[in-house]
Amino acid sequence: MQCPHCHQENQDGAQFCRVCGKPLGAFDGGAGLIKRALVVIGLLLALLAAAGLWFVFHGNAANPAASGNQSSSAQSTSPVPASTLVKLGVAYGTEKEAWFTWAVQEFAKTPEGSGIHIDLKPMGSIEAANAIVRNDAAIQVWSPASSLYKTILLRNWKAGHADTDPLLKETILASTPMVFVMWQERYDAFVQHYQELNFRTIGQAINEPAGWKTIAEKPDWYFFKFSHTNPSQSNSGLTALVLMGYDHFGKTSGLDAGDITNPDFQTWLQSIEKNLQGAASGLVPSTGTLMTSMIQRGWSTYDCVLVYEANAIERLDQAGGRWGPLRVVYPPYNMWNDNPYYVLNVAWSSPEQRRAADAFGQFLLSPAAQRQAAAHGFRPASQLVGTGDPDSPWVKYTAVGIQRQVPGTFCDPPNPEVMENLLLAWQRSQSAK
Amino acid sequence: MIGRIFARPVVSLMALLMLCLAFVAGCDKGNNNSSQTNSNSNSSAPPANPNAVEVLLLYGSEKQSWIDDVTPTFNASNAKLANGKVIHVSTTPMGSGESKDALLSGHTQATLWSPASGVFVQLGNAQSQIKGQPLIGPTKELVLSPVVIAMWKPMAQALGWPGKAIGWADVIALAKNPDGWAAYGHKEFGRLKFGHTHPEFSNSGLISILAEAYAGAGKVRGLTTDDLAKPEVGQYMADVEQSIVHYGSSTGFFGKRLIQDGPQYLSAAVLYENMVIESYSQQTSVPLVAIYPKEGTIWSDHPIGIVQRPWVSDEQKEAGQIFIDYLRAPAQQQKALQYGFRPAEGSLGAPLDAAHGVDPAQPQTVLELPSAAVIDATIQLWKKNKKHSDIALIFDKSGSMNDDNKIGSAKKGAIALVNMLAPEDSVTFIPFSTEVTVMDPVVLGTGKEELINHINMMVADGNTHLFQAIKLAKDKLMARRDPKRIQAIVVLTDGEDNGNDVSLSQLLDQLQVIEEDDASIRVFTIGYGNSAKLDDLKRISKATQAQEYQGNPDNILSVFRDIATFF
Repeated sequence: MQCPHCHQENQDGAQFCRVCGKPLGAFDGGAGLIKRALVVIGLLLALLAAAGLWFVFHGNAANPAASGNQSSSAQSTSPVPASTLVKLGVAYGTEKEAWFTWAVQEFAKTPEGSGIHIDLKPMGSIEAANAIVRNDAAIQVWSPASSLYKTILLRNWKAGHADTDPLLKETILASTPMVFVMWQERYDAFVQHYQELNFRTIGQAINEPAGWKTIAEKPDWYFFKFSHTNPSQSNSGLTALVLMGYDHFGKTSGLDAGDITNPDFQTWLQSIEKNLQGAASGLVPSTGTLMTSMIQRGWSTYDCVLVYEANAIERLDQAGGRWGPLRVVYPPYNMWNDNPYYVLNVAWSSPEQRRAADAFGQFLLSPAAQRQAAAHGFRPASQLVGTGDPDSPWVKYTAVGIQRQVPGTFCDPPNPEVMENLLLAWQRSQSAK
Repeated sequence: MIGRIFARPVVSLMALLMLCLAFVAGCDKGNNNSSQTNSNSNSSAPPANPNAVEVLLLYGSEKQSWIDDVTPTFNASNAKLANGKVIHVSTTPMGSGESKDALLSGHTQATLWSPASGVFVQLGNAQSQIKGQPLIGPTKELVLSPVVIAMWKPMAQALGWPGKAIGWADVIALAKNPDGWAAYGHKEFGRLKFGHTHPEFSNSGLISILAEAYAGAGKVRGLTTDDLAKPEVGQYMADVEQSIVHYGSSTGFFGKRLIQDGPQYLSAAVLYENMVIESYSQQTSVPLVAIYPKEGTIWSDHPIGIVQRPWVSDEQKEAGQIFIDYLRAPAQQQKALQYGFRPAEGSLGAPLDAAHGVDPAQPQTVLELPSAAVIDATIQLWKKNKKHSDIALIFDKSGSMNDDNKIGSAKKGAIALVNMLAPEDSVTFIPFSTEVTVMDPVVLGTGKEELINHINMMVADGNTHLFQAIKLAKDKLMARRDPKRIQAIVVLTDGEDNGNDVSLSQLLDQLQVIEEDDASIRVFTIGYGNSAKLDDLKRISKATQAQEYQGNPDNILSVFRDIATFF
């Protein structure tokens, strides 16, 4: 199928363009939306006029509240009693924490949101999926970092819930690719030795017996410290394993079980995974937390991490105020993370909660919310919000490696069997320490 | 803005608006139950509720200054739950290990827990998971501070600081060197006197022994139980521990005493970076500097989370989260910086700078935090190889101890102390009243039961010849003086000395720390009840760089337990 924006060819069924990264097909661009919006505005004006006429003829007689204090500050309005609030549990990846926290506060101020209490539950994407399969009644919405784990969730769900589909509705909120984030000074030393930053050179560095002493004649830096999130809990960790597979075999699609069980690949994967920073005490369970930890602890704990582009963008300024400048590098084999928003179709979700879930989802697609997403480093799904403004992150941070047009090659999500084999291989690497 | 006078037509209008929006977005919309159209209506508070929700924060005492500063402001702000109840926060500082045990046992029913480090969260959750649930939910950092070796600047310079990277191996080599500082051209500094807290009770102590184990194994990551089983690792640890002056439950205590008593008390101690910064707000004879061990250190990351126990109500969970958000807000984070902590959020700045003895670009690397099983195995290894103790336990059995059954509670406390000591430790039991009885020292590995029997069989009667008892205890310990062991006196009394043999000034002269041969016998005093002469007891403990306590039947058990952490 052809991308409506850059006109490059993409595979059928793809959600984002391989070249420019914009959504394909799920959104028809702004034109249809604008037309329909104009129709609504016309209707609204007509209705306002009708309401005005009604007031003129019927007055306030039937409305006791109208005879009371009519202060324009509207302090006579009272908040919705807690007992009538619709409570909505939203399990979401921490990469969206700042954006969603803003969205919940703003949504509560809207008429649609005033009767809804949203309980944001920051969780690793996979951790949340597993909680849903275990019938966690506190969750009515699932918004992982990507739809990568969706097929596994559906399969695990059906194993215990007959023939029901737990996902009522799927909406794509925003996209972000993967990036390596490294301290600039250490990045310069790294590429001087290895020429390029990718999974293969990371594998070499992580297994260098004398660490930075050999890499850059910096014995005080000790070992090369790389990490990603826990693949059994977090989408970005699982994506790391997938991308290692693609990088190792030099392909962008068709990663199969034969590849994952290949002994050379298994040996190479283990050699990296067992030496990840944090492997002994437990990898960080979510991507936002990993990026935060890098900023807090600096190069003492992480030389390099694999996170979402949005995480990096959000912390670039803060890094300079604590340790030093960062460098962002796109892996040559990459994947888009489409941040889907799933309204759950589960026994513990009432019709009111599903309507509330839908309302919040719509709010997240509003221009204001999409602009906020962009401010936090997410490439918006809405075509009404661009990424080329002078103050957009994709213009402001080009000096540290952020690019509007993402370089490299984008890979297809593998099938559930491949992902499960990757997780098994990873788990074996942890017990082999 | 449409006011409530338009309520009826506006409901219809809003319903139609929803339908229109549904047409635009391509989905259905339900009814909007709200009768409000004021966009500010949800931010207006419900009517004031006279009830309050109490939240107890149990936290590592390292951050007490900051917590004590910001908590009253929170309480004064009358922060509320969504249902209008006012939140009130009370706080209890405690050593990290002690707080973990207090929560696991249910002795302290806190809403929030913030130990000094995620290590204790790991341990606590692992121990709690045996019963099916974690101790604490997901955590976030409040503030961070790396563990450092705090050393007097001239001594650090003698080791090559700041030009040379110094590590655990350098300090350990100095500790093992029989010539001490003389080997570095500074005979006037004497031997290395080193201190770290008790690893079962305090985070910095735990990190110290992990660092010793790593150094002994020649590693900075991948510490295993196999490594700990190697004889040379245990021996390495034993060699380091010989330089320890005493342990203790609180890093804060070490920090304060280091600053107060200067180089004659300790050459260096394992503390947190923020304590080095804090020292610059007080007068010291020489400045302290932070050494960031070149092999790596571990961050003290002060996680905070909501306790997962039935005693925490939903309202308390909500209130707890509000308080956590408050502590992590920019204003409070900036305040934490002023107390020397690296804030969890925001930039760094003064006083995190060279002028305060620290380096914000450090540490360069960390020691890998091992698994809970390896941490536990390291603690067990330390127990075998720690510096053992000879304790003289002086126990007042004068007639006044019969009042309010003080003697009954005091016996329990003394037995608790004995039970916390190691089999290799010895106790010389010295009950006194008009007569002072100095019993033979008992090695606890073989004679503990007999000792406990003696304690239980005491009968209160007679006067209080306190000073004579202390003098005799000191003489007894000096006769068995061994620099490879900690020697200390623990004295409990409920009154004042009324003997004629020894005056206070004579006793103080004899108790003064002897620096040259490092024969320091510390005297820990417990003034029990209202009649104890606390001033005298304080002078005695201060003269020996120990600690005084004010005890009563309710707290005597925890007093003895705290004293036990010094050995």
